[in-house]
Amino acid sequence: MSKKILIVEDDTFLQGLAANKLTAAGFEATTASTGELAKAELAKNKFDCILLDLMLPDISGFDILKSIRETSKTLPVIVFSNLSEDKDVKQATDLGATDYLVKSNFTLEELVEKIEKTLS
Amino acid sequence: MQDLQGENKKLKEMVDFKSDLISMMAHQLRTSLSASKWVLKMFVDEDLGQITHEQKVFLQKTYDNNEKMINLVSEMIDVNKENNTEIAYNFSHNDVAEIMDEVLLEFIGESKERKVTIHFTKPAEILVNCDPEKIRTAFQGLIENSIKYNKEGGEVFVSFESDNYEVTIEVRDTGMGIKEEEQVHIFNKFFRTANAKKKESVGSGLGLFAVKSIVERHEGKIWFESTMGSGSTFFIALPIVRS
Repeated sequence: MSKKILIVEDDTFLQGLAANKLTAAGFEATTASTGELAKAELAKNKFDCILLDLMLPDISGFDILKSIRETSKTLPVIVFSNLSEDKDVKQATDLGATDYLVKSNFTLEELVEKIEKTLS
Repeated sequence: MQDLQGENKKLKEMVDFKSDLISMMAHQLRTSLSASKWVLKMFVDEDLGQITHEQKVFLQKTYDNNEKMINLVSEMIDVNKENNTEIAYNFSHNDVAEIMDEVLLEFIGESKERKVTIHFTKPAEILVNCDPEKIRTAFQGLIENSIKYNKEGGEVFVSFESDNYEVTIEVRDTGMGIKEEEQVHIFNKFFRTANAKKKESVGSGLGLFAVKSIVERHEGKIWFESTMGSGSTFFIALPIVRS
């Protein structure tokens, strides 16, 4: 059975590219372009991994991460953001992010490898 | 006195505003560059259908230039951080030989790609009171330059020498060297030598400026020797933790 990934990303072009790549790699990709949509998806579906942007139009990704960790300490959450300052990485790590990837430093293949490694 | 305090406050607000603006713009630039990176890679890897060899060559060059723009944005973010004096340096005792070892591991791929051999024998522990991430950035700057501006088949020699007071780190390359008339400007912000520009058309000129800033924040010294056509040696001296 395919592993389910929730992609929380407000840039619809990046979102689409990531979803297509993950689907081609054998995952079942669901997308959410806002924090509220992400929360709605998390409330109704179970996911194996979350790919989480930090700069969302409504709620920050940090708040989404915090609310995920209130219900699950083990669900893998990979922060996938173009913010790269130490304070952002520290905040995400302190809130329980499984990994922190700077988008512009990774190709989609490398992203797939990271997710596969996280889930293995 | 109150006027001075008022002026100081205004200046600080301006600096903070500029810094925040740069951070925001860098984030937006990275978003667009990420999209280009992914799509270009998909074309090069023929995920979107077969392409001719000639098309692949052009697309690979475009991908490489996109990567350079991404690196430039990262450099801009680093210098923005350096300029912001409110950013704390977190000092602790760290083994700088270990930090260099880790940095060289990061560059294995790039050195192989550019056919440059790195020579380094890690010495025993050398403790320096430093911000390990900043020192890592400084080492990365020197190693990156030593590979980037080297000849194909060239070499980089990294060594440490210490006494009771300080450690001197030497990074010697067999690259193009620096013209004598350009040497006085080498640590200036935004300066790039003519040869560097020929080798890599895109570059901020912020690298060595940032390295010098980091070294001086650690009460260290940085200097170099260079001969055109033979290569350059950069030296960093840092005070060590005395037992």
